[in-house]
Amino acid sequence: MSLVISVVLDSALITFILALAALGLAIIFGMIGVINMGHGAMLTLGAYLTWWTTSAGIPFVLAVLIAAGIVGVIGLAFEHFIIRHFYDNPYETLLITWGFFLVTTELIKIIFGTDLRNVSNPLPHAINLGIIELPAYRSLIALFSLLLIATMGMLLYRTSIGIKIRALMQNREMASLLGLNVGAMYKLVFVTGSFLAGLAGALISPMLSVDPYIGNIFLVRSFFAVIVGGLGQILGGTVVGSFLIGGSETIFALFSTQVFSQTIVFALAIIVLRFRPSGIVTTR
Amino acid sequence: MNPIRLQARFGLFFVKRTVLISENGLAVLAFAVLAVLPLLLSGYVIYVLPQYMLFGMMAMSLSLLWGFAGILSFGQAAFFSLGAYTMGLAMRASMPVNPAYVALLLSLVIGAGIATVVGYFLFSAGVRDAYFVIVTLALSIIVEQITVSQSEITGGWNGMFINRMALTFGNLGRFDLSQDAAIYYVVLPAALLSYVTLRWLTLAKFGKVLIGIRENEERMVSLGFNPTFYKTIAFALSGAIACFAGALYGTHANFVAPSLGGVLFSTEVVVWVAIAGRSSLLASLLGGIVVSSLSNYLSAITPRYWQLVEGLIFVAVIVYFKGGAASALSRFRTAQADGTQHE
Repeated sequence: MSLVISVVLDSALITFILALAALGLAIIFGMIGVINMGHGAMLTLGAYLTWWTTSAGIPFVLAVLIAAGIVGVIGLAFEHFIIRHFYDNPYETLLITWGFFLVTTELIKIIFGTDLRNVSNPLPHAINLGIIELPAYRSLIALFSLLLIATMGMLLYRTSIGIKIRALMQNREMASLLGLNVGAMYKLVFVTGSFLAGLAGALISPMLSVDPYIGNIFLVRSFFAVIVGGLGQILGGTVVGSFLIGGSETIFALFSTQVFSQTIVFALAIIVLRFRPSGIVTTR
Repeated sequence: MNPIRLQARFGLFFVKRTVLISENGLAVLAFAVLAVLPLLLSGYVIYVLPQYMLFGMMAMSLSLLWGFAGILSFGQAAFFSLGAYTMGLAMRASMPVNPAYVALLLSLVIGAGIATVVGYFLFSAGVRDAYFVIVTLALSIIVEQITVSQSEITGGWNGMFINRMALTFGNLGRFDLSQDAAIYYVVLPAALLSYVTLRWLTLAKFGKVLIGIRENEERMVSLGFNPTFYKTIAFALSGAIACFAGALYGTHANFVAPSLGGVLFSTEVVVWVAIAGRSSLLASLLGGIVVSSLSNYLSAITPRYWQLVEGLIFVAVIVYFKGGAASALSRFRTAQADGTQHE
C-alpha cells in the first residue's frame, strides 16, 4: 500500500516539475509556433545564474527572480534582433534557436566553467505524512508549478491579453486586421516563454547537480510532454503530457533501470506521436 | 546566367571555366588531391584524414536527406555510432569468414533496416518537419543511453576497443591495414563510391522527385508520386551510408564510446552541413572534412572559444547565407560570370 501511495505521490511530483520545465516551451511552441531548441540552454542558464547569485550571498527567492529576469531579457534581445525576422519559417527558427543553444552553452562553459555546481537546497528537510516522507522542496515546487499553470490559465482565459493571444493563435491575419499589434504579442509570448524557462531552471537547480548540459535532458522530455499532451490545449496538454512522460518513467523505473525506463518512454512517445500527431488532449 | 548558354556564347574559354568550376570538375579535383596526399605527406595527417572522410560521408548522408528531400535529421550520429558498435562486436566474435566484412555488410543492413522501419512508421502518418527532428533527436538519445546502459556488451561509459580490420581475399591471402596509408586507400574508395552513388541518384529521377517533395509535397502526390516511399528510401539510404561510415570509423579509430552517437555529435554534423551548403553533396563531404579537421585543430589551440565561434558561424549561416558556403560561392561565380559578360 505504501508503495502505491509513494509511487502516486512521486509521479505527481515529477509530473508537475516536468510541467514546470516544459511550460516555457509549450507556450512558445503552442502560441507562436516556434520550436525553441534553445529552451534547454535557457533552463541551464537559469540554473547557473541561481548558483552564481546564491554563491554571492543573495537570498534564494531573490536569486531565482534575478535568474529568470536575466534569461527573460536575453530572450527579449534574441527575439528582437533575430527571431522576429523568421516567424514565417518554422524550420529556420528551429535551426537558429539550436544555434542559440550552441552559443549559450559555450558561453556558459566559458563564464561559469564546466565543473558540476551545486545550489544548496533552501528546504532540505522532509514532510512526514505518516506512511511516507516527501521532500519539502520538491513538493513546494510541484505545488508552485500547479499554481503557475493555473495562473497562466487565468491569464489566457480570463483577461483581455489572453483573448488577444487566443485570437492570434486562431487567425493571425484576422487578428492583425482587427488592430492587434501582432509583433508586440509575439514578443510578449517569446519573452514570457524565456522567462518561464529561466524560472524553471532556477527552481530546479537545487534538485540536481548543475552542469552545462542539464537542459538537454529536459529539452527532449519537455518536447515530448508538449507534443504528446497536445498542442491545442497548451496548459492541460502540458500537464497530461508531463504525466505520461514523467509519471510513466517513474513507474517503469520500478521494474528496470532509470536509463532503460527513459528509453522505453521515448520509444512510446514516438509511437503516440505516430498515431495521435495532434496529441492526447485535442481541442474540442 | 545559365552556364550552358554562356558556353554557347563564349566558346571554349567558358567551356574550360565551367568544367573547372562545375561540381563534377571540383569533385574530380578533390578526390585526386585526396588520392595523392599519402604520397606527399605522412604521419598524423594521413592517420587522421580517413576519419574526417568518414565524417564527410556522414555529412553527405545528411545532405541527401536535408538538402534534397528537405528532411532534417538530428540523429545521423546515432547510425554512425551503431555502425561502429557493429564493427566492434563483430570483431570480437569468432567467425569462419573475415568479421570486418560481415560487420560492413551488417552495418548497411542495420542502418537501412532501422531507418526504413522508423522512416516508414513516421512518414506514412505524415510526421514531418520539426516533429521529425524531435524524433531523430530522441533516436540519438536512445542510442546513446542504450550504449551507456548495456555495459556488459558495449563497455558502457568506458567505450570499446576495436581491432583494425584486415583485407582478406579468400585463399589468395591477407592484407594487413595497420599501416595508416593502407587503410587510407580503403576509406577513400568508400567515400568516392558513396559520393558517386549519391551524386548519380540525385541527378537521376529519384533526386528530382526528392526535390519535388521538398518544394511541394502535395503537388507531388497529385502528380502520382508516393512521398512516403521516396522519403523512406532516402532515409534508409542515408542511414545505411552513415552506419557504414561508422563501421569503418570504428575499426580505423580502434575505439568507440557512447558520445559518438550522442545529441551533440549528431547536431555537430548538422552544423558542418549547414556551413558547407546543404544542397551540395560535394560541399557536405568537404565541409565534413574541413570543418571537423578545423575544429580538431582549433580546439587544440583555443578549446574554450572555438566551439563558440562555430556556433556563431552556424547562426550567421542560417540567418544570412541559407545555402551555406557552396551557394555563396556559386552566387559569387554567377556574379563574376555576369561581370565578364558585360565587359
